[in-house]
Amino acid sequence: MRTMTSFQAALAGIAALAYLGCAHSVPAELLSARAAYQRSSEGPAADLVPAELHKARVALAAAEQSFEDAPDSYRTRDLAYVAQRTSERADALAGIDADRRSTAQSDDSFSTMQGEIITRTETDLRDARTDLSQSQMALMAALARLAAVKEEDRGLVITLSGSVLFRSGEHALLPAAQTRLDQVAEALLTSRERKLVVEGHTDSQGTHRANMLLSQRRADAVRDYLIGNGYASHLIVAEGLGQGRPVADNATPEGRSNNRRVEIVIERTAPTQSLNRPPRSRIASGLER
Amino acid sequence: MRRIGLVGIVVAVVAVVGCATAPLRTDDSVAAIRAAEEVGAEGVPRAALHLQFAKESLARAIKLANDGYPEQAKSLLTRAEADAELAVLLSREDAQGREALQAIERVRQLRQDHPERGRQ
Repeated sequence: MRTMTSFQAALAGIAALAYLGCAHSVPAELLSARAAYQRSSEGPAADLVPAELHKARVALAAAEQSFEDAPDSYRTRDLAYVAQRTSERADALAGIDADRRSTAQSDDSFSTMQGEIITRTETDLRDARTDLSQSQMALMAALARLAAVKEEDRGLVITLSGSVLFRSGEHALLPAAQTRLDQVAEALLTSRERKLVVEGHTDSQGTHRANMLLSQRRADAVRDYLIGNGYASHLIVAEGLGQGRPVADNATPEGRSNNRRVEIVIERTAPTQSLNRPPRSRIASGLER
Repeated sequence: MRRIGLVGIVVAVVAVVGCATAPLRTDDSVAAIRAAEEVGAEGVPRAALHLQFAKESLARAIKLANDGYPEQAKSLLTRAEADAELAVLLSREDAQGREALQAIERVRQLRQDHPERGRQ
């Protein structure tokens, strides 16, 4: 057998190269499809949408089979193209599923937090009501030790005898009255800030006009004293009511004595300041004097 | 034998002619493209790109059919459908992603408004 000529060898080489070249000419679509499937199978699609990933695998297998059967056919390229899109569909569906889970988780967190906030707020309100009630009781107890205290529709009424506070016919506070008012102010100020109405009342002796004037001046004197001790001026109103609202019979000395009085009405209206606000330092220091 | 051969040839010719003249069924591709348009694919960059691919493949398929390449045209329609369907999903993914971000933002805002209660 004769050895191959150089021409034959060259032909054999070209044929081999042509064969190898053909064997490796994978269409770009198929290369992309393989890469896309690789990405999908290594991504969240494997866990979140396995059925979609399976479709992508089947589509890629169809493209690979077509490549084996007819490597350069349009059908192979189209199948590979569709296989790539099928993998990308799986990725998109996995993204949708992940976002949906994230949304559900966030919504759950939101609902849980909202529930906690509502529960906490309800607890706070309950505590605040309890505090308020306890504060009211403490205030009443403190004031009851100093003066007559009664609850009426208009609020808590502290009655101070006029004979304790003023000399007859005068509106300047007696020194003893100041001590008493200091105690009343202390009791008021340790509670939360409330609106007060200071009412001056007289007996029926003297003219109506004179009694109105005297009762107003006495109410003003008490108001000014409380303000001087740190009570907020905008929270106190002074009213002179003269002889118009007797609480006892003016025909007897004892009855007239009871009618000469100053009433401090603590209104029932809601506190004007924050529920948890402590007494002002100025008030506290005023009480320490 | 000669009769069977003739019948076979006639059947084959009819089949070939029938295939050659059968109109291209673009219904599914067109429907998929419309679906993508309806979900707002044109407003989502990636989805818009695939919608464009789908339209181009459909146009090329129609041209191939008109030029007498029905099988290539039919095969190309699968590309159009695949791209249109992907465009739909990409649009949905975009919408779902935005919804997820909004949900996260709602939680963040609630935590910010209630710092003492928002921690888990």
